[in-house]
Amino acid sequence: MNLRIPILKLKDTLIVSIQWELDDQTALQFQEDLLTKMHETSARGVVIDLTPIDFIDSFIAKVLGDVISMSGLMGAKVVITGIQPAVAITLIELGIRLEDVMTALDLENGLEKLQRELEA
Amino acid sequence: MNKHMATFIQDNLDEILVRWQEMMKDDSDEKFFQIMSQDVINKTSREFAELMISNLFEGENNYENRLNEFTSKVVRFGWSISFVMKAINHFAQVVYDMLEQNKTITEQNMKEYVMVFAEWINPMRDGIVETYAKTWERTVQLQKIALQELSASLIPVFDKISVMPLVGTIDTERAKLIMENLLDGVVKHRAEVVLLDITGVPVVDTMVAHHIIQAADAVRLVGAKCMLVGIRPEIAQTIVTLGINLKDFTTTSTLQRGVEQALAWTNRKIVEVEED
Amino acid sequence: MGYRSSVEILTEWDIVAARQLGRNEAKEVGFGTVDQARITTAISELARNIYLYAGKGKIEIERISEGGSFGIIIIASDEGPGIPDVRKVMEDGFSTSGGLGAGMPGVKRLMDDFKIETVLGEGTVIKATKWIR
Repeated sequence: MNLRIPILKLKDTLIVSIQWELDDQTALQFQEDLLTKMHETSARGVVIDLTPIDFIDSFIAKVLGDVISMSGLMGAKVVITGIQPAVAITLIELGIRLEDVMTALDLENGLEKLQRELEA
Repeated sequence: MNKHMATFIQDNLDEILVRWQEMMKDDSDEKFFQIMSQDVINKTSREFAELMISNLFEGENNYENRLNEFTSKVVRFGWSISFVMKAINHFAQVVYDMLEQNKTITEQNMKEYVMVFAEWINPMRDGIVETYAKTWERTVQLQKIALQELSASLIPVFDKISVMPLVGTIDTERAKLIMENLLDGVVKHRAEVVLLDITGVPVVDTMVAHHIIQAADAVRLVGAKCMLVGIRPEIAQTIVTLGINLKDFTTTSTLQRGVEQALAWTNRKIVEVEED
Repeated sequence: MGYRSSVEILTEWDIVAARQLGRNEAKEVGFGTVDQARITTAISELARNIYLYAGKGKIEIERISEGGSFGIIIIASDEGPGIPDVRKVMEDGFSTSGGLGAGMPGVKRLMDDFKIETVLGEGTVIKATKWIR
């Protein structure tokens, strides 16, 4: 039952909304799918929305961090949106800071932020 | 025997109270006997004595009610628990001495009387300790709630800008609560910039700084920016002396300058309007 | 002894099952959303450690109460190789699996109480407790 996370394209941006709890395989599959899609579409930016996600452990955090670094290498900027307060607190307590990650409150803010970054 | 003793105490109450008050004055640092008027002392002493006697007379239930009532009264006086304990012990001591003097207690029946006294005094002590413990627990609970209410709410001041004033000492427990309030507030008010105002925080040590840095990190994760304002000169000194790194942080001395900066970050500024 | 439920950890999917169990238990016992996230995350870390280092083991969740407060204990047990140097495992940034190294000290920070018992060659039992504030 490998559900794939849908990746949408809007102009030169990819939009991903993660709607259910990620198991390890789905997370790794997503990493691969996103990079492939990025290559196909030569997208310059990605917004990943995590609003429905109620926890992130160190493995998923690592996959996300890796995706962001890899996207950077491929010349695309990533904004993570909708991290819930409970998730942010847990991450910080776990000792995961996700230091160089751009974040925004929600998808709309995220798209604006990405646009400004790409124009700059 | 109980009834006999109760009658004896009632008949000799005046003398017992005089002796008891003397013992209490000699043996206690409690301010009660120094500050209160003799009237109040006499009245309270009598009340106290009545309670002591009532346990010899009445059934358990009624006694417990009176004990609760009395202890709560004593708590309001601000009597310490050790003072109350002394009061009970001395009272018993006085009664015992007087019974011995008038030969009611003799070598033969001494053992019996010791038992009677134990049965009389022990439940009272237990009751007092329990009532005090309950009162303390309640007080601690209430203080905790009061502290939580004091603990930081996020105030929206402009569209996209909120302020959280922090007041008082920050321990780990409070830090967690502050963090939760902060993040929930950011999401609820859709704040893009939050100003943490530490004007009211007396000491910023390494631990407090650590909590603040964590809070700022978490704010960044949910998608907003955090600024530290209200840094007093002595706080700036301790931060640098302790070698705490706040370099990733935007900090300002006053809330006013913080708000100006926050407006600039959200591409706005305050302008004066010319009158027509 | 409180109510206890458990999940065997044999495959990667069991990690998901364990944290779902933990999330439900935390919710039923009455934890708030932040504590639910803490508990779920702690279980995920502990279950993944079992899967990675011991191959198989068990996550048990027990409801506890004491003096009017309620809470849960997560018990992660395995019959794996054991931990050679517990102190090192509890240092921040230590990891042998190439993860972020959040592992054990991170779990300790998420929970109120944390105990490791480990015997080389016989296995490890970790007990992590969380109380409702």
